[in-house]
Amino acid sequence: MNPEPGGGLPDEGTTVGSAAARMMLGSQLRRFREAAGITPEAAGWHIRSSRSKISRMENGRVGFKDRDVRDLLELYGVADSQVTSAMLALAGQAQTQEWWAQFGDILPSWFEPYLGLEASASRIRSFDLQFVHGLFQTEAYARAVTALGLRGISPDEIDRRVAVRVKRQELLTAAKPPRVWSVMDEAALRRPVGGVRVMQAQLRWLAEVAQLPNVTLQVVPFQAGGHDAAGGSFTILRFSEPAVPDVVYIEQLTGALYLEKPAATDHYLDIMNRLSATSLSPAESIPFFADLSRQLQT
Amino acid sequence: MSTQDVSAGSQGSDTTAAEPPSFDITRAHPARVYDYWLGGKDNYEADREAAEQFIEAMPNILAGVRANRAFLRRAVQYLAGEAGIRQFLDIGTGLPTAENTHEVAQAIAPESRIVYVDNDPIVLAHARALLTSTAEGATAYVDADARDTGKILEAAVEVLDFSQPIAVMSLLVLQYVPDEDHPEEIISRLMDAVPSGSYLTISDTTTEIDTERVTNGTARLNARLGPARSTLRTRAQIAGYFDGLELVEPGIVPMPQWRTLPNPLVVPVFAGMGRKP
Repeated sequence: MNPEPGGGLPDEGTTVGSAAARMMLGSQLRRFREAAGITPEAAGWHIRSSRSKISRMENGRVGFKDRDVRDLLELYGVADSQVTSAMLALAGQAQTQEWWAQFGDILPSWFEPYLGLEASASRIRSFDLQFVHGLFQTEAYARAVTALGLRGISPDEIDRRVAVRVKRQELLTAAKPPRVWSVMDEAALRRPVGGVRVMQAQLRWLAEVAQLPNVTLQVVPFQAGGHDAAGGSFTILRFSEPAVPDVVYIEQLTGALYLEKPAATDHYLDIMNRLSATSLSPAESIPFFADLSRQLQT
Repeated sequence: MSTQDVSAGSQGSDTTAAEPPSFDITRAHPARVYDYWLGGKDNYEADREAAEQFIEAMPNILAGVRANRAFLRRAVQYLAGEAGIRQFLDIGTGLPTAENTHEVAQAIAPESRIVYVDNDPIVLAHARALLTSTAEGATAYVDADARDTGKILEAAVEVLDFSQPIAVMSLLVLQYVPDEDHPEEIISRLMDAVPSGSYLTISDTTTEIDTERVTNGTARLNARLGPARSTLRTRAQIAGYFDGLELVEPGIVPMPQWRTLPNPLVVPVFAGMGRKP
């Protein structure tokens, strides 16, 4: 929808999260470069760097130096001072130090970008097959899940990992919270991670958190039979800025995929929509959590 | 519970019927094409392609869909404000965007009750998840085709009080009801069911403004749509929807001109509002 270079810049004075700012800045720089007919190699050379640096910048995966942004805009023939100052304002937002920087030692490098995207998103849709989504985990459940994956981890490190998860959840009650719309498989709700008591408390918390005006939870019951996403969990992050595409996040055992090309994200949006349309409605899902909690007791 | 699903139970259980049109992402779908024109991201390649085809024939469509949202806002503000209406029956919900009917109405009167009607399971899933009411009011979602007025009314009775005035809304929806399904009869059945003091609000595409471009754009769009087809109508046909009602000033006019400052925008859509005497 924004064929004009510069058309996707945010209005003056708007603040976006650092990850969204990087993505917006990167996609604008790509447009300007392509419009100027300049190769990534030439652009990399111009800022005393490489083709791959340009590619990482344009994908919004790295921070931006003001000097690089200025030099690139000059190379691309962008003379409009309003565009330049909007781009530099974005570069400033892209450099904001986020709270998770202090946890850099325990966060896998492939997970950190997700935290930035999650914090910048306006809508988060997830499908969770095996575990309750991180944004909805109780502390006890988070502790049990964390210990599962990492044998021989020190208690201090577990504490810090759990602290990250709990801190993330502040997003749900922030001043301008994202809309979080999660579909969860009954399997994720029945697996008593941390024991029956922990799971019961987790289910009660789901019934409660679903009452938040910006949270929608839906359950795919076993009764529904096979479904479209039997393959695994995924999250779709959406950003309010028109120029920033949806990002599909898929976590694996030792890494993660971040998809943003429409050819790939269309497929996940389709599956998410089918799941949302065929699972229990939000109103039917809340009593489902309570019923399941009672069933676990017996 | 301020948010309800008045057709609960119909979901998810029926796997034998043919897949609903919106499940097919290889053909364009009206709600998703409209979403793309509005700058939304709930659309797929086939929708974007069809939407771009229309834009090529008629670039003004982008201003047109925004004008329709602005019309919705002005109309609901009038209904909830000056007209004092507290109940809304919104036929053809579409994919949620900014300033949906209940948000505009409940900003003025939080106790407003809104029934959204759509027959598309993905539109309904979005409405249930995202169009949530204030605590004082109510939003409900009815899974029904616009043509199935019996089903619409049967479900709406559970949420709306039919002894009190109701605003029936149908914005850029009737174009998807073909002539042989008699859109004028759908409207008259709905308006027969609501009491005196109720309102009808319509926006509908027309052959009579910017004729060549809209005809060309619509032909391109129809060639790419799934089962739904868009039918352009004359001003007289659109005026016919309001038979027996008292038109609210300024009557049936080009949509950007309805109760607002002079607007030079040319959009092939007529809009109007009528009150049931």
